[in-house]
Amino acid sequence: MTVRIRFFARFRELLGAESMAGFKDGTNIADLVRSVTEKNREGYNAIFDESGNFREFVILMQNGKRVDVSDAGRTGISDGDEIAVFPPVAGG
Amino acid sequence: MISRRELERYQRQILLFLEEGQERLKQSEIFIAGAGGLGCPVAIYLAVAGIGKITIVDRDIVEQSNLNRQILHYDRDIGREKSSSIAEKLTEINPDTEVNAITAAIGEKNVSKLVGNADGIVDALDNFPARYILNRAALEKKIPLFHGAIQGFFGQATTIIPDKTPCLACIFPKAPPEEVSPVVGTTPGVIGAIQATEVIKYLVKDGDLLANRLFIWDGKASRAEEMAVERNPACPVCSTSKNTTMHKRVR
Repeated sequence: MTVRIRFFARFRELLGAESMAGFKDGTNIADLVRSVTEKNREGYNAIFDESGNFREFVILMQNGKRVDVSDAGRTGISDGDEIAVFPPVAGG
Repeated sequence: MISRRELERYQRQILLFLEEGQERLKQSEIFIAGAGGLGCPVAIYLAVAGIGKITIVDRDIVEQSNLNRQILHYDRDIGREKSSSIAEKLTEINPDTEVNAITAAIGEKNVSKLVGNADGIVDALDNFPARYILNRAALEKKIPLFHGAIQGFFGQATTIIPDKTPCLACIFPKAPPEEVSPVVGTTPGVIGAIQATEVIKYLVKDGDLLANRLFIWDGKASRAEEMAVERNPACPVCSTSKNTTMHKRVR
């Protein structure tokens, strides 16, 4: 089973635009994003804090629907899902 | 009434939204929060479009390091209040537009008075704490909020219609970290032009707004994308009072 993970803005600079990832039954969104980013220390640190939790401003979408980062650890994924990981920007 | 001179000045856009649309622009007041990277292009395009009144608020003075992107402030303006600098240029660009430029920091206490009875609020700010204050004022007064933000080559924009779309806190419940962000001047040019387009469409009642959609610009890849965004039923800013009331009624 595979899902497509898409990164936006600064995350894209660090991790590339998108990647396909295989996963096992029972994997949740947090595990998935961790496994895709853990080999890229800078990219991982941009998304996760020191405790390994999503940074609170990160925006996650599953098939176009918002998933709160605090729910990502208990939100399952299905074959063919598209997960988007987006960092809002603040400048003006 | 649109004068003969105005008919000529705005001829090419009256082809798009008729004299009726132009009259709407003329009768409108837009509040622009921020006279920086985003505020400058937003103000230019709203002034040339013939918006009747622009109120623009900024707390800062023009610095040398602003000039790569804040295109209404010139070299000679360094050290001058941004509000005064921008008012002068806007009046030169279009003397028909009344410009009310104010030097102030937008806060809880003054936001309501500053926004007044504007027909639209443009978020051209550079930090989320002030944006959340503006968001609450827009919701309370039921005035549309045209959000934009930028960093580096990246930008985002959305249009918030109170009671109809997610509010800023539904979309961004937690502020991204504040940092001295790198930025190239064209990024606020892109996003500011989109915000101004949204304002014009809203006022002349034409086209589809960026409502319930977050526009995302990646200038590095030259790609524009969008995300669907939804109201958060548990949003502490736009939903609490309603939920509490309903809850009480059900009981």
